[in-house]
Parts: sequence; C-alpha cells; structure tokens
Amino acid sequence: MIKEFLFDVCSNQIVSGFEHANGSILTKYFEHYTDSFERDKLGSYIFKSEGTNDKKIMLAAHIDEIGLMVTKVLDVGFLSFTSVGGINPASLVSQEVTVYGKENVFGVIGIKPPHVTTEDERNKPLKLKDLYIDTGYAKEKLEKMVRVGDVATIKRKPLQLQGTVVSAKAFDDRACVAVMLETAKELKKLSHKSSIYYTATAQEETGYRGSTTASYMVNPDIGIILDVGFGMTPDMPAETAHLGKGPVVAYGGRLNQKLTKKFVEVCKTYNFPMQYEAIPSRTGTDTEALQVNREGIPCILLSIPLRYMHTSVETIDIADVENTGRAVARFINELDNSDLEEILCF
Amino acid sequence: MFLKELTELSGVSGCEYEVRNYIKKKLEEIGCSYDIDKLGNVIAHNKGKKSKTIMVAAHMDEVGLIVTHIDGDGFIRFQAVGGIDPRVLNSKQVLVGDKKIPGVIGSKAVHLMSDDERGKTIPVEKLYIDIGSNSKAETEKLVSIGDYVVFVSDYVEFGDSLIKAKALDDRAGCSAILELLSMKLDADFYGVFTVMEEVGCRGAITASYALEPDLGIVIEGTVCADMPGIEEHSKSTIIGGGAALSIMDNSTVYDIDIVRSTAKIAEDNNITYQFRKSSAGGNDAGAIHKTKDGSKVMAISVPCRYIHSAVNVASKNDYNSVVNLTKAVILANQKGE
Amino acid sequence: MNFNSELMKKLSDCFSPSGREKNIREIITEEIKDYVDEIKVDPLGNLIARKKGNGKKILFSAHMDQIGLIITHVDEKGFLRFSNVGGIHAKEIIGLSMVFDNGFQGVVCCEELKYNEKLTMSKLFIDVASTDPEFVKKNFHIGDMCVFKSEYYETPDCTVCRAADDRIGCYIQIEAIKSHPVTENDVYYVFSVQEEVGTRGAKTAGYSVNPDLAVALDVTATGDSLDGIKMDVKLGGGAAIKLMDKSMITHLDVKNLLTNLAEENNIKYQYEVLEFGGTDAGPIHMTREGIPSGVISIPTRNLHSAAEIINKNDVLECIKLLKVTAASK
Repeated sequence: MIKEFLFDVCSNQIVSGFEHANGSILTKYFEHYTDSFERDKLGSYIFKSEGTNDKKIMLAAHIDEIGLMVTKVLDVGFLSFTSVGGINPASLVSQEVTVYGKENVFGVIGIKPPHVTTEDERNKPLKLKDLYIDTGYAKEKLEKMVRVGDVATIKRKPLQLQGTVVSAKAFDDRACVAVMLETAKELKKLSHKSSIYYTATAQEETGYRGSTTASYMVNPDIGIILDVGFGMTPDMPAETAHLGKGPVVAYGGRLNQKLTKKFVEVCKTYNFPMQYEAIPSRTGTDTEALQVNREGIPCILLSIPLRYMHTSVETIDIADVENTGRAVARFINELDNSDLEEILCF
Repeated sequence: MFLKELTELSGVSGCEYEVRNYIKKKLEEIGCSYDIDKLGNVIAHNKGKKSKTIMVAAHMDEVGLIVTHIDGDGFIRFQAVGGIDPRVLNSKQVLVGDKKIPGVIGSKAVHLMSDDERGKTIPVEKLYIDIGSNSKAETEKLVSIGDYVVFVSDYVEFGDSLIKAKALDDRAGCSAILELLSMKLDADFYGVFTVMEEVGCRGAITASYALEPDLGIVIEGTVCADMPGIEEHSKSTIIGGGAALSIMDNSTVYDIDIVRSTAKIAEDNNITYQFRKSSAGGNDAGAIHKTKDGSKVMAISVPCRYIHSAVNVASKNDYNSVVNLTKAVILANQKGE
Repeated sequence: MNFNSELMKKLSDCFSPSGREKNIREIITEEIKDYVDEIKVDPLGNLIARKKGNGKKILFSAHMDQIGLIITHVDEKGFLRFSNVGGIHAKEIIGLSMVFDNGFQGVVCCEELKYNEKLTMSKLFIDVASTDPEFVKKNFHIGDMCVFKSEYYETPDCTVCRAADDRIGCYIQIEAIKSHPVTENDVYYVFSVQEEVGTRGAKTAGYSVNPDLAVALDVTATGDSLDGIKMDVKLGGGAAIKLMDKSMITHLDVKNLLTNLAEENNIKYQYEVLEFGGTDAGPIHMTREGIPSGVISIPTRNLHSAAEIINKNDVLECIKLLKVTAASK
C-alpha cells in the first residue's frame, strides 16, 4: 500500500503554493485511518485522529515539492521560468516537463547540442536564466493556454529499482507523508490516548510557511517532524546515512533531548533499525517553525535517507518508510503510557 | 512513419541488434530483398529503372553509455558512446544492458555542493548509475562491464506537430528509408541502414565499399539550435523550416551543383527546404564520398533540437519534407537509359 | 481621478528612513484623519487607520519607510563612515549626494582601491564639505541617518522620484481612503514601518489586525528596461498582480479574486513573478493560522535608487483595483 500511495502521490504535482490542486489524493488514503480533516489557510492538510485524553501530538511532513514557475511567454513557443524552492539548474537540462496552465502542456527543456558548443561552455553549468521550456506552440496559441505565474514540474514516472528501492520526483517529502500514513495505519491497531494530528504541511520548500500556520492552528504538546535526509552515494561524506538502515534520529539544539532519547529507547526495545546524526543548529526542516511556535513546541526530527535530493530521480528504500512509520506508532503508544510531563520537564 | 517504434528501441553504437531485427521484419513485410554485411549493416534493394547506382543511407545506432566499472557499493560507472555533453546526463532514468535493468543517474545534493562544485559541470567520470543495489555482488548479478545503457524516453507528440523522443538522430532517417522502400518506386536504389555512425561512421565505410554508389544520399537527424538567445546565424537549422540540405560539415564539402539542383527539385515539387547553416558535425556522407574512387554525396536532414540527449525534438512536417524530397531526388536521377 | 502630483511630491520629499518614520507618519495622519473612523499608532510605529464595517475584515498595507544610510563613525575632518539601512549597494552610490534630517548634506566618496580589491561599504565615506571641526561635531552624529538627495520630476506620463518605494503605495492608500467605496467590509489601512530592513512592521500589524484578507501595495521591478531583469512586467502595463516573490506565493483564491475584479471592472492589469525581494505580505500571510494574502504592485524602473521611475496611469489603475478589492464580497 505504501508503494501504491507513493507512486500515486508522486505522479501528481503539488508545487509549493499550489497545495490546493491535488489534495484529494491525500484524503483518499488518510480518511480510512483518521476521524476528521481540516486545512490551514496556507494549504496544509491536517488529518486528526481523536484521542481519549487532552494531549495533542502533531506529526509534520511537507506535501509540497519544488517546481518551476513561468515568468514570460516568449516567441515561437518558448517559456522562461524561475524556480519555486531550491533547484539545481543542472538537474533540469534535457528533461520533459508538464506546464499546468489552463490545460496541461507538454514541454522540453533542452540545450544546444555538443556539435555547436565549446569545451568551455560544456564545463560550465547552466543557470536558470539560460534555460527555456520548449512547448512547440506558436506564441498566440500558447498564450491562450499558459500565463505568467503558472507552474510546471518535471514529468517523471516513478521507477522501481532493485529490491525495495524506488526512484521518483518529490519523495522529498512525500516519503514522509507515507510514513505518517503507515503510522496512522499502525495506530489503528495499537490504539492511542493522545489526539494525533497528521499534518501534510504546505510551502516547506519556500520557507516552512505551512508548518508555521498549521502548528499555530493545532497548538500541539509535542511535534514529530518527518523529513528526508541525505542518503549515501559515492560522492557523499563518510558520515552520511545509508538507505535501508532505518530513520535518522537527529540530536541538536532544535530538538528536545529527552523526547529524542525516549524515541531511541523505544526503537531499541522493539528492534527498529535507526541511524543517528548531529545537527548543531539549523535543520532545514519544518522543525524551524514548530519549535518556536506560540509558547514553543518540543520536537523530535526523524529523516528518511534519500539520494539525489531536489532532482527528479530522488531515490529511497520503502523499507525505511515502513519501519519509521511503525516505530513512530510504537513511540506514540509508549508516550501515552508514560508521564509526558515528566519527560518534557527540564 | 515508423518513428514511434524505432525510437523506443535500444541501439547504442555497436549494439544495434534490436533496431536491425525490427528493420528486417519490416523489410520482409514490405517484400523487399536485403543483405546483412559483416559489420551488421542492413542493405535493402529497391529494384527499378536505373541510370546510376544510388545509395540512400541512415544510421541505426544512437548515442548512449557503456558500463566501465562496478564499484564497491554496487554503483555503476560508465563512459559516453558518441558525443554526449555531460550536462545532459544529470537526473535521468536509464536502462542498463540487455536485461534493461532500470537505474537513475543522480548527483550529489546541491545543498552539499561547494561553490567550486556548483561552478563546474560534473564530468562523466564522476557520474554513476544507481540501480538500487546494496552491493557490488548484487549489481554484478544483473550488470556486466561492457553493457550498453540507453535513456528512458518515450515517443511523445506535442505542440504544433512536433515529436519528442530519444534517438531521432537517426531513427528519423531509418524511418524515412523504410517509407521510401515501401513506396515501391520504379527507380533503383539501395536503402542502407548503417551501424556505428556515432563512433566514426564505421558501417558506412564498408557498405559503400560493397555498393560503389555513383550517388550517396544520407538522411540524418541533424543539429538544430533555434532556441531563444541564440543568434540567427548560429541556429544551424530551424524546426519547421523543412528538409535541411548540407553545404559543408566536418567530414564533407558537398558538391555545390548537387546542392543547388536538389534545392531546385524541392522548389519544383513545392517541398519546404532550408540550408544547414553550420559546418559543425559530420555524418555517413563523409565515409561514403571517399570510398574507392569516390562518389557524389548529399545529405538531407530532419532538424532536431537537443540532439544527442534524451529529449530530441523534431517536426513531423520537416520529416515529411525529407521523405518527399529524397523521393523526388531518386526519381529525378533514375530516368532509365 | 487625476494623478495628484503635489501629494506625491510631498510624500517623496519627506525624510523617513526605516525606524525613523515620524515625519512621514505625521504627514499621512494629517492627510487622512478626517476620512477614517479610527486611527492609531502601534508600539512599533505602524499607522493603522480603519474604515469600520461589519463585513469581511481586509487589511491593506503600504510601507512608510525608505532606504538610507546610517552613520557609524564621525571623524573631525568631516568624513563619515556608514552602513546601509535596507538594500543599498556600494557600487551604486559613489558620487551621490545624501541629505540628513537636519537638511545638511554629504557626498559619498570612495577610498583608493588596491589592485583587485573589492568595493565594499567599508571603503566608502561621506564627505560633509567642511573644514570646520566644530561644524562637523555639532551637526553629524553616530546613529544619524541620511537618504538620497533627489529632486521630484515628472514627464507627461511618468514620475521620477526617490522613495517611490513605497511612498507610491502610501499615496495609493491615501487616495483610496479619501474616496473609500461604500461597503460593509471592515477595512484597515496600515502604513507600516521598517519594511526595508525585514518587513518588521507588517508582522506586528498583521498579528494585531488578524484580517480575513490582506493586500500589500508595493513597488516591483520591470522587465522592459535594458538592465537585464527578465520578467514580464512593463511600465504602463497597468496594476501588477503579484503571483510570487521570495517572501510569498500568492494564495490562489487571492490571485483569482484580484484577477476577476480587474477583469470585471476593466482595470488594466498584468501578472508579476519576481525572482527577488519581498513585501509586507510575506510576514502577514504567515501570521497566526495563515492569512490569504496578495500584493498589488506598482511597476517601477531603477528601483532602490535616487530616481525611481513609475507610470502615473499604472498608479491610477492600482487605486481602482484597491478600491474594488476593499468593496469585494
């Protein structure tokens, strides 16, 4: 089911700021395991599973993906564009895209062929302003379909690699929305006392905006932030986490130490695999917003190792998603049976 | 038009068997006789009125990658086969080897790149294919050194009669020759599907040696750079501008009388054409015109944006102009004795 | 409605860099006080005027502050060192005259640069044109701010002035207040402080007003000049409806609302995607549970300079769009 959900949700566009577009996919999967659903005003989706006590636990994984936005309709069918969120322009070269205009328009981002480029040009990565979307339509026709401000994404079918390894666009951070789905499914069996808010946050990629407003709205006692982290490849530093070895538990100033230790303890007790990382300050995740919302929210941060972040071939191991989802469910179950005040007390 | 089927086949230079098998099957359906030479070129013969020996050539092979090494963690290292700009390899889906094992070419997350790294293209030697394997042993069960790698890229029709596919260079030519052969013209010509053009026109050398043509007509998918920001004179060819006639490239100076008479034929038949305004690149004509005592050659091409990448773009109208012009040229040359 | 050059000149000529908005606040208060139901100044210095109603709560915001320089060191020879207040770059100000709140002036000069040395603010200094140490000591102090000296100028269709960013937004709001439409809506006009140093005023104003809809009025760049900015906005192309900048992606409902209002009322408009910069709508839309927000932008050439260029007709279109938005259902 996790793979089906991931392939489904990653085949659609939910570019930052356009979360309104395809949210029904989420409802379709989450409504089986949750009791109610609401939105914040920025487009975050909040699925609530009622508890029996007054404690509130917020899980946050962002639903938005990086994308492109049309800045100008040029002559002979070309569009100039900018990025929504951080994109390495190198990863856009020679890709197919879908422009979401009045109708969906197919396009290609290509560059001059090697026959007519110089060695110097080939050695220099291209910048966004050097790239165009080629739609093949005359300007007059194109202007009827596409306007400034329309978004586009790379057109990419999810791909099954060996074993449980899969590749697609937007696994950052839908892999973790899938973690929440697994947790929701698991908690149906395990039961929970706290009310659980599964929050698919909007606009993380443009500055943790949805998690700012969603956490204000939920006002939880604790936050469990789920995001992707860097996975090991030959060009990465030695301390990088490996695919298939479980979630990466973060230690550092943005996270609540005792809560984090409690999670580690639960993983050890129930034999869930995990890895560790130390983040001295900025985490680059929704934690930035949650930690300092209202009077403050104690948070833990778990990351799913992912290769080739912010490209259209992001690669993860589904086993990590399932293990993390189950570990989080077990963690919540254990928290409900311990003294949360005691854990959060300094 | 056989473009959809042809572009979805794999055929990196030196490994053209899928394309060859498809062409053989089609030739049998058409009822056209053919030979296969020692390098793997397919040489089909359309018999008819004959004043001279005409060889119409298109190459079956495409640019791609070849596996050079499997590293300790099971990642696959590779080299380019044919001229590939390393910038087009970033973030692509690929298929590895005869078993078509899916993989991706990723790169270090941009977040972790130093300014220095961001300012440089990642060279082919530093790239690798990830098939989701955990170890060298697991990869080795599926992939061997020497396996060829192709881009994943389906045939898509879009815009105003444009198509997007991989390998339009030169499946466009293969498709055109198959169309010409199926027309059963009463004009004699050999339709030659060559191998290994992208790595030095190897097939064309032996095929023209065997045929000794008086006139060689090469049908190519050719360089087109008519994107924004490129100066008018550097565009080489224009999509939608019609069949492109070569004047000069790195391998051939085309006989100007033949170029002009071909243009005249196009005008007489209301076929749109353009001149290929670049001397860069090369094709099988370079090999053909220098064989034995030499021959006259011409190149008629389909303009192809983003050539040598996963996303070639060409116009169906241009393709049809190429087929029609080639046909007219053959007919004009074979009036019989 | 015609363009009120006299009012715009008054707003532009007023000295009020970020954090020192007292002068401009007084001018605006004087202009609007007879036309609004309520007027207050919040702890950060935002001027918040209200046209009461029982309907939708709408916040409009234009910032009062302007970019400038702040003096960090004064030597007795009359050379001042400074830092920038808001987005001013060293290479753009050499040779310019700056003016202080007290009316005295100085000219920005540059030290001799060594080979390959980078031009930074620390290489620049202001020469106040005096050989009298007493004069210098008496009139220039650490912490003083100065702004571009500039003369207001108009052509038949355009206006050239300093601080069009964002006195033109203030101008539009003042004009809208004076001809406020009949509506049930509860409308707040915020004249915010400290936008140029990080949209600080709007953050607190958004929190306290907590509206259902927020629209900022601010300037935007254009792509019709030779300065190399690639965007679709043109001077004279009408009110620009912002779709994205670095601080916000416009809420789709707001994009549709503004677009429909413009089309229904024959207001000339254009879409804007800005690849840099932000506005008051940035912090406002992230306030509390989120506030659907948008921006009506005034196309401006030569931004953040002593001579910003705007088109008078664009301004009139912006006023129309603001007014129909204020009265929107």
